[in-house]
Amino acid sequence: MRAETGKLNPHEIGILLRGELEPVTAWIGGWDTRRFALHIATIIAGAGLYGAAMGWWRDPQQALFTAIKFPLIILLTTLGNALLNAMLAPLLGLNIPFRQSFSAILMSFAVAAAILGAFSPLMAFMIWNAPPMSSAAASEPTYNFIKLAQVAIIAFAGVAGNVRLFQLLARLGGSRAVARRVLFAWLAGNLFLGSQLSWILRPFIGSPSLPVEFLRAAALRGNFYENVFHSLLQILRQFD
Amino acid sequence: MNDQNPIPPQIPPQIPPIVSSSGSRQLGDDPSERIAIPNVIVAIEAILRQPRRVMFQLRQPGAGRLIARMLLVSVVCSLIYGVVAGTFSGGTQLWAAPVKIAAGLMISALICLPSLYIFTCLGGSQARLVEVFGLLAGLLMLMTILLIGFAPVVWIFSQSTESLAWMGTLHLAFWFIATIFGLRFLEAGFSHSYAKSHAGFLTWVVIFMLVVLQMTTALRPILGTSKTFLPAEKKFFVAHWGNCLNGQDEASKSESR
Repeated sequence: MRAETGKLNPHEIGILLRGELEPVTAWIGGWDTRRFALHIATIIAGAGLYGAAMGWWRDPQQALFTAIKFPLIILLTTLGNALLNAMLAPLLGLNIPFRQSFSAILMSFAVAAAILGAFSPLMAFMIWNAPPMSSAAASEPTYNFIKLAQVAIIAFAGVAGNVRLFQLLARLGGSRAVARRVLFAWLAGNLFLGSQLSWILRPFIGSPSLPVEFLRAAALRGNFYENVFHSLLQILRQFD
Repeated sequence: MNDQNPIPPQIPPQIPPIVSSSGSRQLGDDPSERIAIPNVIVAIEAILRQPRRVMFQLRQPGAGRLIARMLLVSVVCSLIYGVVAGTFSGGTQLWAAPVKIAAGLMISALICLPSLYIFTCLGGSQARLVEVFGLLAGLLMLMTILLIGFAPVVWIFSQSTESLAWMGTLHLAFWFIATIFGLRFLEAGFSHSYAKSHAGFLTWVVIFMLVVLQMTTALRPILGTSKTFLPAEKKFFVAHWGNCLNGQDEASKSESR
């Protein structure tokens, strides 16, 4: 096992995706800087590629911005909640040190980012087939369909990452009930911080009526869920 | 003399068959599956008659050459089928249709390869990326070989009808049948890779079908004719097919499937 840690081994992402608990539990037990770098690299590459596909519809510059901002949200959420998550785990019955809770969360995000990276060619194909983004297009079902497809893919990646995290926590804690408690507590904290970060760092897809920019001037106005709900309502109105 | 036979009758011991997790025999149990596939002709015969031999060979060192051969067959077969499809309109479509069909299939496979690998991993499959790529190449080869089988029927109809909607439906039906057989091969391949769940694979099948269907619209016209090689207007395939079936594109053969 030691020999494997001598260099970055992309096959380890396959082990994470398959949820092979034996090796993953061994990884959690010790610190390996190269493996840590692999997980960070997976997050940057996977989420970055997906972000680029997401922003490409609006403008190539938006693709670049989103490719930077999307991995940034994941990394900032992991870092921002690291201390809180490490404290919640023992309080809820899972007695693991800070390093292990941090590694476990980073692994789950690496799984999600790998899935997002794999979906990025599909998203790019979808964007390529969509009419050019314009003020008129923004009110069409295509725009809302693409936005909802983004939400569905990101939700799927998030769920898959958390299923793997749950299996790992159940193994570490020896109890599914404890694993469930810890996972929900971590999820709640990460969703709370992550959704706010994503709102602050908007735009990701971009709006045809607004300029391409890294951050909006009114970054702290409104919220993410309100916007998704609005898109859903617009699609439902098409069937009236 | 004692009439009783002291030696019990010889009953050959029952040798339990080696089974994989999926309940079927393991790949390579049959010695014929271990014979290498040296050229494209043997590859075509193997995928039709001995698909397990192809699956086994994809796990062996040097599987890259087999994959390259299968991709070559897929490209050649889709080009041939494309020429037959192009005879409906003739002219530039005789070269445009084969190029679009071959390129569309290859690009669709490439777009869907990463998600196939991810879904198989999430399902617990031990298949490596190269094996997944090989199985996908097998799907393409089997699909395009079957399309070649349908080509004479397509040609007969191409020469005897003017209806784009009819020809488009016919091509779709043949493509669908060929894809079903290709997907059966792919699923059989994954059933030998210790996958615990097929839900991800079934999801991927839907994604793959949608991508190929959208490709037919993104690369239109494939059957009809147009002033430009690629369409100027972006459309989703449902909207485009709706127009075709409503006869909006039927009067002229332009901008059609």
